[in-house]
Amino acid sequence: MRIIRKTAAVVTALLLVVGCQGLPSDSERLTERTEPVEYNSVVFTDYNLQRSWSDGLLGEGGRYRLSVERHGQRRTETGTTEVFAVIRNHTDADYTLEARTHFVDRDGVPTDADAVWKRFTASANSLTAYREYSTSDQPLQYRVEVRELR
Amino acid sequence: MTRFTLPAGAARALVPVAAAALLAGCAGNQVENVAGTPTVYEDPETTGRVGGVGIESQDVVAMTDEMMRDMLRNRMLAGRDVPPRVIIDNAYLDNESSSVINTNQLTDRLRIELNRAANGRMVFVSRESADMVQQERDAKRDGVVDSGTIRETAAQAGADYRLRGRITSLDAVDRDSQTQSRYTQVTFEMVDLELGTIVWSGLYEMRKAAQDNVLYR
Repeated sequence: MRIIRKTAAVVTALLLVVGCQGLPSDSERLTERTEPVEYNSVVFTDYNLQRSWSDGLLGEGGRYRLSVERHGQRRTETGTTEVFAVIRNHTDADYTLEARTHFVDRDGVPTDADAVWKRFTASANSLTAYREYSTSDQPLQYRVEVRELR
Repeated sequence: MTRFTLPAGAARALVPVAAAALLAGCAGNQVENVAGTPTVYEDPETTGRVGGVGIESQDVVAMTDEMMRDMLRNRMLAGRDVPPRVIIDNAYLDNESSSVINTNQLTDRLRIELNRAANGRMVFVSRESADMVQQERDAKRDGVVDSGTIRETAAQAGADYRLRGRITSLDAVDRDSQTQSRYTQVTFEMVDLELGTIVWSGLYEMRKAAQDNVLYR
């Protein structure tokens, strides 16, 4: 009986440790993989940087190294759209990142020049700003994608 | 002198292994029926399999895209009622860096992408086609060919602005690890061709480090 109790305790402890580590970035059960695409948003396409799940061992959970403090858009003096995103690095290491912005019109149709990855560095425990400008002078929506440079 | 002797059992076990190795390795001329490494297309926006410290495709794409978007938010270039006439070619783009690059790649991509995106907000003058255009104009005026279908003008288009720029670099090598580092700075300026003032400026900079630098051609 004692042996069974001990074994159960060890298994429980192991399960807790495994559960606390959460789902890895290549898990198929991450929320981000299947959530619907929303415009006027900033997303991390590199799940090492941020990920969440709803059906982990201990229910909902998430891990993040970076987060988006705020983002938005405004018109420039020639009528093009300026998009900005303020990224917060929560780690003690510098991260070299790439970001690109997809511009679409009100109907969700891609109308601007092709999105190109732009490189920038998020210093350790700091804020950094990413900016992108559209080429079209029509009112647009945006979707910013962020990943780590590899 | 120390002599090593194998136990009898081990020596016996080694005999078939050695024979098999000989058979496999010295089997003579044979067709090696395997596929070679196929050519792969790579995304020009990424570093790809070969990457060094010089200016590469992803830098050309990112640099020209950034400059294009920046120009289109400049009121003097893209916000005028009468679209300005602009020359973008590499006649005044100097490569003073240690990177090997055909500067036409920068100016051609910039001009083409800008022309497509500007959609009439800027007019592009092809000064490198001036001889070709003059030849046709002369032929029309000499009666060798007819006058075409569009219009006749007194002269070719004069430009309001012209792009100029410079590529510079700063190299460093770690003697112990042979790691090479290069800081590259690319400047672009749009110059008013009457006043000589600069109406727009753009800067692209990067620093790359690599242990085995690749050969650029």
